[in-house]
Parts: sequence; structure tokens; C-alpha cells
Amino acid sequence: MRARMTIVTMLVLAASFLFLPTANAYVDPGSGSFVFQALIAGLLAAGMAIKVFWRRIVGAFSRKPSAPLDEG
Amino acid sequence: MRLASSFRDPHGFVFERDGIIYRQVNEAHEAHFAAFLSSGLYERLVQEGLLVRHEEVTLDLAAEPGAIHVLRPERIQFVSYPYEWGFLQLRDAATLTLRVQELALDHGMSLRDASAFNVAFRGSRPVFIDTTSFEILPEGRPWVAYRQFCEHFLAPLALMAYRDVRMGQLTRVWLDGIPLDLAAGLLPSRASVRPGLAMHLRMHARTQRTRASDRSSRDRTFSPQAFRGLIESLLKAVEGLTEPAGYSVWRDYYGEADHYTDAAAREKERVVASWLEELQPTCVWDLGANTGRFARLASSSADTVAFDLDPFCVDEAYRRARADGDERLLPLVMDLANPSPGVGWMNEERSGVWARGSADLVLALALIHHLAIGRNVPLPAFAETLSRSGRHAIVEWVPKDDPKVTVLLRDRADVFGGYSREGFEAAMAPHFHVGGVEPLPGSDRLLYRLRRR
Repeated sequence: MRARMTIVTMLVLAASFLFLPTANAYVDPGSGSFVFQALIAGLLAAGMAIKVFWRRIVGAFSRKPSAPLDEG
Repeated sequence: MRLASSFRDPHGFVFERDGIIYRQVNEAHEAHFAAFLSSGLYERLVQEGLLVRHEEVTLDLAAEPGAIHVLRPERIQFVSYPYEWGFLQLRDAATLTLRVQELALDHGMSLRDASAFNVAFRGSRPVFIDTTSFEILPEGRPWVAYRQFCEHFLAPLALMAYRDVRMGQLTRVWLDGIPLDLAAGLLPSRASVRPGLAMHLRMHARTQRTRASDRSSRDRTFSPQAFRGLIESLLKAVEGLTEPAGYSVWRDYYGEADHYTDAAAREKERVVASWLEELQPTCVWDLGANTGRFARLASSSADTVAFDLDPFCVDEAYRRARADGDERLLPLVMDLANPSPGVGWMNEERSGVWARGSADLVLALALIHHLAIGRNVPLPAFAETLSRSGRHAIVEWVPKDDPKVTVLLRDRADVFGGYSREGFEAAMAPHFHVGGVEPLPGSDRLLYRLRRR
């Protein structure tokens, strides 16, 4: 389910890249990285929310404490 | 006085005084550095062994005006660069950087750069060294070092894993990171199956080219959850990259062992170990170390750098060092016939190998024929390199009728008239005294113990 959601979001995102404005040669490509992070922000936040939610579900059915995030 | 590697950052820089390395923190960085200390981030990072420890020294030692702190960081025995690391070392350095960033976020701070040069290896352990890289988290803004992380870590790692492990050498040409459009173009299409690579390399590269001037998206708020998600996603992309597969002649060199009897190999270990015991070096270089079999004899009591040209061997040596808890062994990729040069601004930003130091003892075991015959390096040139590398040397002489030399000469004209024991001794004589010679049973190879004149 989670994988399917990721794929669908990625496809929508990829489709949005088909229609793009022209490049500006004197703009630092680093600016593009800021723009890109803004574009994927929703996906990243959703991914994080799903992860936390999933941990809670797993935690509720498991006697062991859930692993810390950095081990994911 | 200011190190040539430390000229770009107005917040602080590294300098050397009387042979000691210091870091000056400038006024421009005052608020950030205060938060770095008061938030507990510094203590936490040091506690976890992720950041180099420093002690504060008097401001009188400052190298230039504008200092608010002068720090004396713990010394790194041998400074190495990303193009000298194997795949596993670069991946561990990437993971370390992301872990540091996670902890920084926990403390309301963030890394403002994510250069691979901010990581050094203390033996086999990576450590973050740039104490002035931390800034107070600019709320609502994306990660300023995102592109740099992708160019310095994700791009070379993906290329090494999916295209060829030798692609790691691209980082020597592109010191500021491999341009994402180049990486995206070189990656095979199967790499895009991995969502992390498709997103952080391919789509990222495309946006850089086409949407750099898009102000409307740029000014959107980047939530803390998105920030966490970004680091988490990068971590997943990095950890998902597995060691490149490939055939390595050298990795299995000692396994083949057709040129050594077991007795010869054991005797070689015995002699090297006993000479190490007598010399008591604190710093050893092993040139042509393969997977580090002999370097490990040294690293039990000395900081040891194990150089080899084969990145598979370096990965193997690193894996073993980590598994065995051998913290004093640093395996590095280096072709002795084309060692790391001085590169970057004025060719001084990143030093060549010999500008970074030398050893008490240098090992050159089963190496001389590869350089003298395989790479046409004259014996006097080999001797000079050896004398620049260490005060003492242990060299294995491999004669021309050795089976391995016969293989090297099989398909080429023998233009190596001077390659003889006499020629070897004559080449060494201007640089070294011979302190001992030991034969290796079952072969005509000899071990020489040499002391610099």
C-alpha cells in the first residue's frame, strides 16, 4: 500500500516535469535544488507521517519497543 | 599559516602554528557557535564519537583579526580524501553526515554544508571534523546543503554501485561534487528503479537545469516534517546502495598463493613481525597493501595506512578492520604510479600524498616488480619514493625468475636489464643502509630491512 502510494506520487511528480519553463544560464543550479525540495516537500512529509503511523501500528501489536527512527 | 584547504569559509578556518593545527571561529559565526555549544549538540556528537573533540585555547593564538574562539581539535593522524576511500568508506562517511544532521535537527540546528571533505578517518573510523558547519536551523527553509550532499555522496556512491567502482575517482576531478546532470547521464536506467536515486539524482538534476529561476516554489515553506523526511529519504537511498560486484585479481592474490608456499608466507609474517617489534614504529605506511594482511601486523601497535590501487582490496581491508575493531588501520585507494596530486585552488587546496606526511616505517612487500616491470618505474626512482615515505623500510625483493615476474614479462620485450639483485642494492645504496636480509623459503625472494641515511 505504502509502496503503491509512493509510486503513484512519483509518477504524478514525474509527469509535472514534462512541462517546464526554459532554463536560465546565469542562475546558480543550487537554486534549482531549493525549488526541487519545495516540490517534493509534500511527498517527504507524507513519507515521514506514514513511517511514524506504521511504527505506532507495529508498536501496538508488538511487545518489544519500536526501533528508533535512525535504524529504519 | 592558514591551511590552503580552509580559505572559503568566512565563519572560521583552520591554521597551523608550530606544527599544531588550530581552528579559528570568527565573529560572523558567533550566535551559531554559541548555540552549537549551549544546545548540547557538541557534547552529544563527541559522546557518540561522531565529531572530533576540541579544546578551547587562548585567543592570543588567533591567526587573524576577528576571532571569538580558537580551538585545538584532536589531531587526525593522516588526512585522507574522498577519492582515496573505497565504496564502504564513502558510504560510512555519508551515513555519518546524515546522522550528524539528524542530531543537529534534534538540537534546533542544521549543517550548512555537507562536503565529503568534512569527514576524516581516524584509522578505520569516520569522524566529522568541521566544527563550524553548524547553524541555527533556519525555520521553514529547505536544507541548504542538500545539493552538496547529493553531489559529494549520493552521486559517486550510486555510480560506484551501479556503473563501476572505479567511478569513485571522478571525485578527484570534481572536487565540489559530481555534477548531478553528469551523474544522471552516466547511471544505467536500472538505477532509477530505486525511488531514492530517481528522486534525488535524476529528478533533482532535471529541476536544476529547468526550474532554477522559479521563485514561486522557492519561497514555499519547508516544514520540519519535510526536513526530517528528506534526511530519512537520503539515509534510505544511501543505505540501500550495496557494494559493487566485480572481479578483482588482487583481492584474491594471497588466496591463489601459487607463488608462495605456506612456509614462505608464514616466514614473511614472522620476519616482518619481528622487525616491527624491534623498530617500534608509531606510524607505518604499507605500499601495495592488498587486503592488509601485513598492514594488520603493524596496526596492532602503530597508526597504519594501507595503500592499494584496487578499490576492492581497500573495501575488503576496511571491512575486516571494522569487523575486528582494528581502529588504527586506514586503508586507502592509491596508484603509486599516479598518486593523489595537489588539487583545487592553486593546486594547494587538497595536498598530494607526500605533502601530508610520511611514516616511521614503510612496507613494500611483493610490490617492486609491479612498479619496476609492470609500470616501467626505474629502480632508482622507486628507491627515492621509498626514502621520501619513511625513515625505515622493509622491502621484498622479487627476482626476475620468480613465477609472478615471468607472467609480467610473458607478452612483452624484456627491456629490464638493470632489474637484478645487484641493480636493486645499487639503487637503494644512496638512500638507505641495509640493516638485514632474510630469504623466504621456497622462493628466491628476499626481505630487506633498510634504514634511511
